[in-house]
Amino acid sequence: MTQATGDLLTVENLNVEFDTHGGIVQAVRGVDFSVAAGETLAIVGESGCGKSVTVQSMMGLIPMPPGRITQGSARLRGQEILGQSRIDGREIRGAQIGMIFQDPMTALNPTMTIGDQIAEPLQVHKGMSRAEAAREAIRLLEVTRIPEAATRAKQYPFEFSGGMLQRAMIAMAIACKPEILIADEPTTALDVTIQAQILDLLQDLQRETGMAIVLITHDLGVVARMADSVAVMYAGKVVERGSVDDIFYRSAHPYTLGLKAAMPSNDPTLKQSLQPIEGSPPDLFSPPPGCGYAPRCPHAMKVCQQQQPPEASLSSAETNRPHGSHCWLHEADSPFKPAELHFIENDSAVEQGAAS
Amino acid sequence: MPSHPKAALDFSPVGTEREVQTLSRPSLSYWQDAWLRLKANRRALVSLFLVIGLLLFTLVGPWLWQVNPASQDLDQVSQPPGVDRSALVVDPYTPWLGGATAGTGLRLAEPATTQSVRLAWDALPSARGHRVYRNLFPVGPELAYGIPRAEFFDNSTLTFEDRLDIKPGTYYYTIVALNADGSLSRETSALTVDVQRVTTVAEARERGLVANEAALVPGDRVELALHPLGTDYLGRDMLARLMAGARVSLFIGIGAPLCFVLFGVFFGSVAGFIGGKTDQVMMRFADFVVALPFLLFMILFKIAFGIGPGESGVMPMLVALVLLMWPATARLVRGQILQIREQGYISASQLLGAKTHYLILRHMLPNTLGVVLVTLTFAIPSAIFTEAFLSFIGMGVAPPTPSWGSMSNEGIKTMLTTPHELIFPAALISTTVLAFNLLGDGLRDALDARMRNRE
Amino acid sequence: MWSFILKRLAQGVITVWFIATATFFAMHNVPGDPLLNDRAMTAAIRANVEAKYGLDKPVAEQYVIYLGNLIRGDFGISFTQENREVNDIIREHFPVSATLGILAVLFAAAGGVLWGALTALYRNRMPDYVIMFFVILGISVPSFVIAAVSQLMLVGVNSALGVTLLPVAGWGTLSHMLLPAMVLGLGTMAYLTRLMRSSMLEVISSDYVRTAKAKGLPAARIFTKHQLRNAILPVITVLGPSIAAITTGGFVVELVFAIPGLGRYFVQAVQQLDYTVIMGTTVFYGAFLVFMVIVVDVLYGLIDPRVRMQ
Repeated sequence: MTQATGDLLTVENLNVEFDTHGGIVQAVRGVDFSVAAGETLAIVGESGCGKSVTVQSMMGLIPMPPGRITQGSARLRGQEILGQSRIDGREIRGAQIGMIFQDPMTALNPTMTIGDQIAEPLQVHKGMSRAEAAREAIRLLEVTRIPEAATRAKQYPFEFSGGMLQRAMIAMAIACKPEILIADEPTTALDVTIQAQILDLLQDLQRETGMAIVLITHDLGVVARMADSVAVMYAGKVVERGSVDDIFYRSAHPYTLGLKAAMPSNDPTLKQSLQPIEGSPPDLFSPPPGCGYAPRCPHAMKVCQQQQPPEASLSSAETNRPHGSHCWLHEADSPFKPAELHFIENDSAVEQGAAS
Repeated sequence: MPSHPKAALDFSPVGTEREVQTLSRPSLSYWQDAWLRLKANRRALVSLFLVIGLLLFTLVGPWLWQVNPASQDLDQVSQPPGVDRSALVVDPYTPWLGGATAGTGLRLAEPATTQSVRLAWDALPSARGHRVYRNLFPVGPELAYGIPRAEFFDNSTLTFEDRLDIKPGTYYYTIVALNADGSLSRETSALTVDVQRVTTVAEARERGLVANEAALVPGDRVELALHPLGTDYLGRDMLARLMAGARVSLFIGIGAPLCFVLFGVFFGSVAGFIGGKTDQVMMRFADFVVALPFLLFMILFKIAFGIGPGESGVMPMLVALVLLMWPATARLVRGQILQIREQGYISASQLLGAKTHYLILRHMLPNTLGVVLVTLTFAIPSAIFTEAFLSFIGMGVAPPTPSWGSMSNEGIKTMLTTPHELIFPAALISTTVLAFNLLGDGLRDALDARMRNRE
Repeated sequence: MWSFILKRLAQGVITVWFIATATFFAMHNVPGDPLLNDRAMTAAIRANVEAKYGLDKPVAEQYVIYLGNLIRGDFGISFTQENREVNDIIREHFPVSATLGILAVLFAAAGGVLWGALTALYRNRMPDYVIMFFVILGISVPSFVIAAVSQLMLVGVNSALGVTLLPVAGWGTLSHMLLPAMVLGLGTMAYLTRLMRSSMLEVISSDYVRTAKAKGLPAARIFTKHQLRNAILPVITVLGPSIAAITTGGFVVELVFAIPGLGRYFVQAVQQLDYTVIMGTTVFYGAFLVFMVIVVDVLYGLIDPRVRMQ
């Protein structure tokens, strides 16, 4: 599958592993995704599937003695950023890509005021003076809807609530107007009402600044609300990717189906028990030779246990959000096609895909 | 697109009876897990063996090496280990009558022994008399001749017999010519004398040095008592003293921490469990005790217990240590209890009907054991250091009771000439302290994930 | 901030009172008549002292008089040195001990922070191993051995070089102070290094340092403002009790290096059973240490805002 041109950020075949006391853990085993300017990509998966490690290694935040990028590339506007700290004469982190993290209570320096922490990237990347940066910090706090911004800027993290801290982190991350904002489970540690506010804020900021957002989450509800395109990850690989409509209405991978089925419904007329996916993810110390989801997949075939499936292209036309799925069920010779899965309409498209 | 030979792919479905969950590792109890971690930590394991070795040294040692630490072997004073301890048996001492001896210049009339050194010399050219000096070290350019042994104001006496405290080894004798007015001139003559150890038949019998006493005759060689680690400045066996000192140092070093940790656990758990005002008052009291300047009060307590300097105060030192050091443990345990009280499993247990004493015994205390054990292991080297320190300045155990600290004190005084008297007790202190420290580190890594040192 | 300081000062006063009381009752438990001492008294002094301290009065009254004297800063007259006031002894010799102690603490703190940070940054590489080796020596070899051996080594160095690099004993100039301060601070420095190392290791892998990196901040800035500032907190916490340990451990160094400090006088007083000097020194030292702990607490409050806003 080719990448659409004009993508802002493209990640190809990223592999990351860690040396631990128990052996080598292969946390990320060949991940591809891309983000276009101004749009939101959601990376979805359960705990331990490697979504955080993927973005953090891309940003160079994984300590490289125990961690290692063994293969792959990540390109911003066509230029490689793995192992680099600057491109186009500017710092990548902070100035071109901003990042916010899951737990705002521990992600901020407890001994520095919020205002100082927001002013830091302004001073370093934009060369502002202390006074200028302080003023801009207050303005940013107002943009992220923190009341009494001037007073708040002089306070310390322990005086803020969780939701306000997350807003402060967002202010800090967008201070230098980056083109991409990576949000690593930004609302997981917050309660639901605050969650909604934060997500709204992110969408508003995106509309105003035109920045792209990479949103990592395990909550399909958040995906439905925020995402333009989605990448579903399992056991260190992207198993399905496409536009948000593709993923929700034309799911092409059993895991995606399983996730959707596990979502609790708020329909009061339904009386059925929750449907979890039985089992747990594979041990990444010795990943299975075949598809990682095979042990839990209701449609597994022998080949699934033996070899990793290639990516089957499901887009009928050239689109900038191609729909792909790593599943053997899409190969022409598979004996059955489960009804609830989406397959390509006509065989000719498959042949076309197979030949290219 | 990847090209699989499609014929080779097996698309037959896998059945639904699959083992979905497999346990990869057996589950371990807390203590089993801790023990495994401890064993994996090499430094801690070595320290554990060292500690066990030290305990064996202290408890079992005196049975294996039954020498009285207080008995003095006056023939072998301040001897380093491994020194030749053979002695030649000779006839008892008879006074020397001087007289002519063969040879010229400053010379020995006969081989020098520990019984006597007999010197003879020819008068120096400008001498109107001579003075005899003896030194342990060779005389250098600063002309430090050593101790004066004899003085003769004319040249009629040209012999001298030295019997003063002669030890086996090498002495440097110097004869200095005297001027007419009795002052020293520049004319000297020097002689290096190697003294051999001798003993008489009677002495050998007295000291029980031979099995077959009847067959002993002059000319035989006997071996003096063996001192594997040498002797100190009073001729006492170092190994025996170190073992006795180990008893004192470890008695205080382990006994005091055991006591004050126990008391601290009791105090802290009561304060933590009751909480509220009582807790505040108890902790305030603990803070006061902490504020007392430690060393000063140790000394004060010693005096208050009526022990003057120079008297041995093992029990008072122990009591003083306990009285001053319990607050740290108490505060630690109280903190732990407060934390544990809030934990979910306590509430869950209560909801299931657990009584207070069950909660304390089954849930709270075992969870504090880790912290307590680690505190204990670090308190021991601290107490040993304190005891050594106090004994060193004379405020601890006093002679003749040995302790490693007081032995170090004595050893420092002769550090240059007989370093072994300092090295052995100091090395034992250092090793013990180090072993307990590393063991404490290992226990902490093994028992408590939160306190774990990220090594 | 000020209410914090005032609160601590008030607590400090109560603590000093407690120390004075404890000292008083400890000394009054010495069996026998404290004045029945051949070395100490002539009839003149005896009358003097008995009148001044009311030693024939009941204990409770003595205690009140004692406290009253203390508040006026009167520690009494030395028992063994006729007509020499304890205040004078303290005034003459305490500055020496204080200078030595403060130098030692500065040395220990600076060294501890520096070596600890280095071992954490270069973890499991050569600098780490070298520094940790010395740290282990520092915590296991007793201070008196280090003092004596270093003095000896200095003698050797001096004679080898032919000049007196540093004076071997005595007091007076800065060069007199260097070696004793280093020796005194060594044990604490080793302990602080270990503490700083583990604190630094925790900080290095903390979330907020990750955020700082994600902001693209330069390494130097991350080191000072984010890592060092947070890692140093446990070290400062421990600094208060460490000061206590250093000042009271100064005895030995004063003895070995022949420094005329208060510690040496205290040991002498104990050996001679000079009660007023003993009590006076104890209370004075206690008050000094309480004060130092307050200073350290205030310092801590300056760095960690969470503490001062309680």
